[in-house]
This record gives sequence, C-alpha cells and structure tokens, in this order.
Amino acid sequence: MASVASKGSGLINKLLVQARPQLDVFLKYAKVELTPPTPADIPAIRQSIGNIVKSAKTGSYKNLSVKQAWLNTLVTAEVIFWFYIGECIGKRHLVGYNV
Amino acid sequence: MSQAPVRVSPLIKLGRWSLLLVGIAYGAAHQSRLSKKEEKVREIENQQKAVRDAKLAEEKKRSAEAEARALAELSKPRSQ
Repeated sequence: MASVASKGSGLINKLLVQARPQLDVFLKYAKVELTPPTPADIPAIRQSIGNIVKSAKTGSYKNLSVKQAWLNTLVTAEVIFWFYIGECIGKRHLVGYNV
Repeated sequence: MSQAPVRVSPLIKLGRWSLLLVGIAYGAAHQSRLSKKEEKVREIENQQKAVRDAKLAEEKKRSAEAEARALAELSKPRSQ
C-alpha cells in the first residue's frame, strides 16, 4: 500500500515537473488576458460601449467585412459561454441539476 | 514561438467576468429552487409509497389466505 502511495506521489511529482513549462506559458498569458477588469479600465469600457451604440445607431456595423463580423460573433459567443461556465460552478454539477 | 499576450479589450473582460459571476449566482439560485421543489415531490412520493405499500401488503395477505384455503380444500379427504 505504501509503495503504491509513494509511486503515486512520484508520478504526480513527475507530472508536475513535466507540465511546468506549459503551466508557465499558461500563467504568462492568463496574467494578461484573463485578469478581471480594474477600475482603471472603466473609461475604455464606456468608450467601447459608446462605439457599439454609435455603430448600431449610424448603421456602420453594416460596413464590416464578413471576416470582421464573424470574429465579432465568435467573440460574443465566447463571452456568453462564460455564463454557462458560471452556471456549472453555481449548480456544482457538470450536466443538469443534481437535485 | 512565444507571442506577446494579446491585450484583450476591457469590455470583453468585463463581459466575461460579469457573466461568469451572474452565471454562478443563477446556477446557485436555480439549484436551490429546484432542490426545494424536488424535496416537496419526494415528500409526496413517500406518503404515496406508504399508502401503496400498505395496499400491496393487504393484497398479498389476502391472496396468501386464499391460496391456503384452496390448498386446504384440495387436501381434504373426499367424501364420496
């Protein structure tokens, strides 16, 4: 039993050592790309909301290229998917509600 | 290979994080609501189960008695 445990911990240590570079890369990007917005970002947020409203009002969103529109759609979808991740965390179950 | 991290638009960041938090709240609220609902259903089911179990036991008892009676009838010496 003890040998199994030591083997297991050895395996985990090996895995950690192996995964270290990937983890470092992930952290490097996550620290910039996944951080929550700070209060300092509020003007930029207001400005981009204003831009969206303006493009909806003036109809300039019709002048986007297909590629641009597709990218915007994908980004919107990605942002919406975060809601479902949050729902899974909130209900503490992956598929359906465990009642 | 190592690209500089993309500067994600603050609006996207805000959207992601706020939707994540809203999703957590929604999931928790929905979970508790559904659990309460299900609890009520369980209670009713338990009551119904008690009634049904009593009925089944009664029926079983009756059929066992009928069987015993039929067996007694069969094993009675025939009076010719």
